[in-house]
Amino acid sequence: MAPRNRDDNFMDVDSDSDISLLGDVEHRGKGKGKSKTTDKRKKDKGKAKAKEQAYTWEASYTRSWDTVQEDEAGSLQGAVEDLMARGRRRRLLAPAAAIRRTIIRHLVLLLDLSAAMMDRDMRPTRFDLMLQYAREFVVEWFDQNPLGQIGVVGMRAGIGERIGEMSGNPQDVLKCLSERTRLEPTGEPSLQNAIEMARSSMSHLPTHSSREILIIFGSLTTCDPGNIHDTLDACVKNKIRISVVALAAEMKISRDLCDKTGGQFGVAMNEGHFKDILFELVPPPAQRAVARAGGPGANPAADLMMMGFPTRLPDSSPPSLCACHSDMKSEGFLCPRCMAKVCDVPTDCDICGLMIVSSPHLARSYHHLFPVKPYEAVTSMEGESMPQAACHACARIFSTSVSTAATSEGMSPWGRYRCPDCHNDFCAECDVFVHDVIHCCPGCGK
Amino acid sequence: MEKASHLSVIVDLSPTQWHLSAQTSNQYPLSIETFLSQLLAFLNAHIASKHENSLVVFGALPGKSVLLYSSTELLSDDVPSLDANSYLPFKLVDSTVVQRIMNEFDAIGELEEEPSCALVGAVTKALCYINRITHPSSTTAGVAEDPSIVHDPRILILSVSPDLSSSYIPIMNAIFSAQKLKVTIDVCKVYGPDTVFLQQAAHLTNGSYIYLERRDALLQYLIMSFLSPTSIRKILAVPKQDKIDFRAACFCHKNIVDIGFVCSVCLSIFCQPLPVCSTCSFLSIHSNDSMLLAPFSLLQTHA
Amino acid sequence: MPVQSLQNTDVIVPQHTPHPLLPFLQSQSQTTLTRLYQRPSSCLSIFRLLGPIERQLIMNLLWLESALSVATISAWVLPEGKDAYDSALAVMTGLHIAQNSAVKLALNPTFKSSLRQAITGGGSTGSFGVPTDKDGKRQSANIENLDAYALERWETILHYMVSSGQGQNPTKPSQGVLYLLQRSGLMNNAHGPALQITSSGFQFLLHSPHDQLWNLLLQYLHMAEERQMDLVEVLSFLFMLSTMDLGREYSTEPLSETQKAMLEDLRDYGLVWQRKTSSKRFSPTRLATTLTSSSPPLPSSHSTGGSHTADGTGAVALSSGAAQQGFIVLETNYRIYAYTDNPLQTAVLNLFITMKYRFPNLVVGMLTRESVRKALGNGISADQIISYLTTHAHPQMRKNNPLLPVTVQDQIRLWELERNRLKSAEGYLYKDFASQADYEYVLAYAKQLDVVLWENASKRCFFGTLEGHANVRGFIERRTGSV
Repeated sequence: MAPRNRDDNFMDVDSDSDISLLGDVEHRGKGKGKSKTTDKRKKDKGKAKAKEQAYTWEASYTRSWDTVQEDEAGSLQGAVEDLMARGRRRRLLAPAAAIRRTIIRHLVLLLDLSAAMMDRDMRPTRFDLMLQYAREFVVEWFDQNPLGQIGVVGMRAGIGERIGEMSGNPQDVLKCLSERTRLEPTGEPSLQNAIEMARSSMSHLPTHSSREILIIFGSLTTCDPGNIHDTLDACVKNKIRISVVALAAEMKISRDLCDKTGGQFGVAMNEGHFKDILFELVPPPAQRAVARAGGPGANPAADLMMMGFPTRLPDSSPPSLCACHSDMKSEGFLCPRCMAKVCDVPTDCDICGLMIVSSPHLARSYHHLFPVKPYEAVTSMEGESMPQAACHACARIFSTSVSTAATSEGMSPWGRYRCPDCHNDFCAECDVFVHDVIHCCPGCGK
Repeated sequence: MEKASHLSVIVDLSPTQWHLSAQTSNQYPLSIETFLSQLLAFLNAHIASKHENSLVVFGALPGKSVLLYSSTELLSDDVPSLDANSYLPFKLVDSTVVQRIMNEFDAIGELEEEPSCALVGAVTKALCYINRITHPSSTTAGVAEDPSIVHDPRILILSVSPDLSSSYIPIMNAIFSAQKLKVTIDVCKVYGPDTVFLQQAAHLTNGSYIYLERRDALLQYLIMSFLSPTSIRKILAVPKQDKIDFRAACFCHKNIVDIGFVCSVCLSIFCQPLPVCSTCSFLSIHSNDSMLLAPFSLLQTHA
Repeated sequence: MPVQSLQNTDVIVPQHTPHPLLPFLQSQSQTTLTRLYQRPSSCLSIFRLLGPIERQLIMNLLWLESALSVATISAWVLPEGKDAYDSALAVMTGLHIAQNSAVKLALNPTFKSSLRQAITGGGSTGSFGVPTDKDGKRQSANIENLDAYALERWETILHYMVSSGQGQNPTKPSQGVLYLLQRSGLMNNAHGPALQITSSGFQFLLHSPHDQLWNLLLQYLHMAEERQMDLVEVLSFLFMLSTMDLGREYSTEPLSETQKAMLEDLRDYGLVWQRKTSSKRFSPTRLATTLTSSSPPLPSSHSTGGSHTADGTGAVALSSGAAQQGFIVLETNYRIYAYTDNPLQTAVLNLFITMKYRFPNLVVGMLTRESVRKALGNGISADQIISYLTTHAHPQMRKNNPLLPVTVQDQIRLWELERNRLKSAEGYLYKDFASQADYEYVLAYAKQLDVVLWENASKRCFFGTLEGHANVRGFIERRTGSV
């Protein structure tokens, strides 16, 4: 919070916010290993100093270099390995069973375009940083939520402004975020107006899809025409999840929005933390969150949807008319049921109404469903008559000497990690790569 | 200056399929011996193109996948003796690959039932290997500018087995990680019917999928389509596949389907409507049954 | 080479600067080349020297028995690659690798069969060198020794060149090397008996080792032509060396007389190693075996950058692709920190920086106006200084974008421009004209001849070129005579 305690007056008003922020940070403990370390230390320090200092925000200030500890030899190796171990443990703790997740997601990105966004406490300005991270967010989001759609709404000059229509094409969304001059911040934001606009654009959506609003909020005020709590109630009723990433301080109303709708709330402490809390919203939310938000009786409907997987015609095929625009084209996709030709997927076939999706789109999300079992660190080489000489995946030769640094839990002193199913040994790098990228064990082939 | 390129070759070594392929009833019979000799010429051509080019060969055998050759590690201790008429790196590739394949084949023995080929294992291993050489770990001595970091890594799959529908999800996962690593996957279908999954692999990673029609001209196919790195493919065209089949395998019976039922929660694909999604055990709502089944019956009459 | 700076940009069409040897080969007659192509190792090496498009075209044609029509081949080419394709084809026909008639294209049959043989192995040409049997008594030179030897030889040559300007002569390279340096114009003895480095010699020093090597070898080839050596034998021996395996011994038995003579020269350059001059076996060094690889891996220890060597050699021995580490840190205040204990690198740096301090593994210096002007005076260009600094930048520097501080780059260029303010010309000053009319009359004549370089009417004088002097003088004499 240190960068922002420039105005003691308003900090006084909101002085309870920092406590809840710390609580929140702690609550989100499943974040990246790195941010977790920081958070933990922050909390410890906060506790220690709270006795001597009246203002918690002063206590919460930690120097970033304090979070890393050198060992006796002055090397950072130990600290780095500790971070790695944390990462591994985090994975071990994660449930191996399939989690239900909402995969067809609809998200409205609410961008604060008020004058407060021109503040320079984040470099270069809050506004530029927000745009940059928003673009990265969109790319990553579509990568993990291939069937999702994103719309963009801006808050400026007291009204909500539709910047981009709901779209499943990342390029469309990126395009509307790319014109910086069109989004120039001005005036006061209005949360109510903007949320109402976002809510109306999602009201028609089917029940099986999730509806979410992500607000990036830099202002400390909102100027609303009516009672914003009515809007909040409407959102709860419509099962809209609202998540807020605040760039300034916490406001009661933004926390309420998130708490009541089952979303996440976070205050960005610095540029890196901003990105971290933004990107935590990328993976599909686990289903329980929706259930909690819906309360009793809100059993979200799960339908089996019939979908067709088309055949793509090459660019060199003889041109023919497409069913959707009646254009002469050679490339296109053939509906597997009625053999009509459509221009793009995913879409509904204009002839037979079948939902046509490209199966790779679906498959992109399967790694959420079938995660690879975490590998066990080999801690003892006893009873191994013929240890594998090299990593089963990348053929890197295992070292025979014991690494002394890796004494912490979850790390193998031999650098060997073993699949519980196929009992092959993998090196640390492949372990991370297999679990984070490939999602498929090279030994078992599943 | 042009960069060294990396090629990972994955050879499908299913004994059954190769036996079928060699049968004289085929229009162009191709035995594994001729195949290997032409493959080795292709591998040598890759090494010949540039001193720094790196090469890894994986074999997909029934039930397991093995590393056959790697240009960064010496796999066998006995370096072949030099002779004045051949270039040592070529000889090294040839002898290592042949010897290892022979060892593996000998080890297979007479099995009642041949397990399916571990193609996925080989692909994921190739990806791990590429990950290793493209992102050298921070612990190695060369810190920043290491020219041995390859650019433009490629995987070439020489497939003879048909699609293995049980490996649908892993193979798709492998394709997406290849996309992330910017690895091009090329596929040469040497024998057997077109495989849907490998077509998708080539399409999604911007590689080329080629069905070998004239199997007596294997080497020419290999050289013309798969030797050039991606930068050259922008100048000298490489054939692409004509049609891409986006069919998927269902989770319940591992059938390859073109119309399926997709769970709206977890996106699992089923070939027939189920009351409970077997993946996420989500109850599908009964009120919608009638709506669901209508198109299904339509489908039946259609078929 | 400035190519390193391209690293971060996406090269859309592959950039390929033709190898310096190719123009030389192209200037040779078809019979010479065809004789050269009889050896598989030569074909393989030349193949590697070619650009990527040429290589792919050759490979496409290699296994075809019959000639292909030009139309078929150009169908492979995408429209945007047409120029690249045309120039590739021109290179191939220039080297007589492809026989280009208007309608059909095929490879030179000799080249084709030799390259096929190289790839598949077999044949009986013995062009990859005849290895000797393991000798139980004497252990053959190991790779570290070979590297050290090559490095020592090569740095002796370079060091001799650098230090000659300063007058402190270290160990002299052999007579053959000196002759070659003189022949190639890198050094001359214009100012007295001792050899002095020339401006092209200074430029040479800033090139990458790979370029330097080929530069010298090209000179060697030219010299070989004059010495009536058989060029085919010379070339094929070089190519054979480039395909040999590092750390092995080869027999000198099958070499021809010319090649045995070459062995001596190449030993002086550090390309081959022999136990004794009379030894029946020789080993190629890394300088030789990497001749045809495009990234220049001189022996790794070249950058004796302090601690790097200790753990570096082992790793580099495995992957020949590992290049030398950068060692220069350049700051915006014109300070240069060079982490090196290598006298040669220090000497090269000394060409354009002012040394401040020297430590066992660190040299600190400044880029000053004087030091850069001294370098410019030696014929080194600003671009060469910048590219040298870029190629040898320390890994830490690589994180910067742009790599070198812009201020420093600009200033070096400005210093170069500064020099260009003065232009010298030899000529004659004409002055003390009797009258303004006289002056103008002569000046008008001189202007007609276009020989006036400078004029000043108020002082009644002008400056004319050397060539014009006879005419102008004659004109004045005629005029004064006639009066």
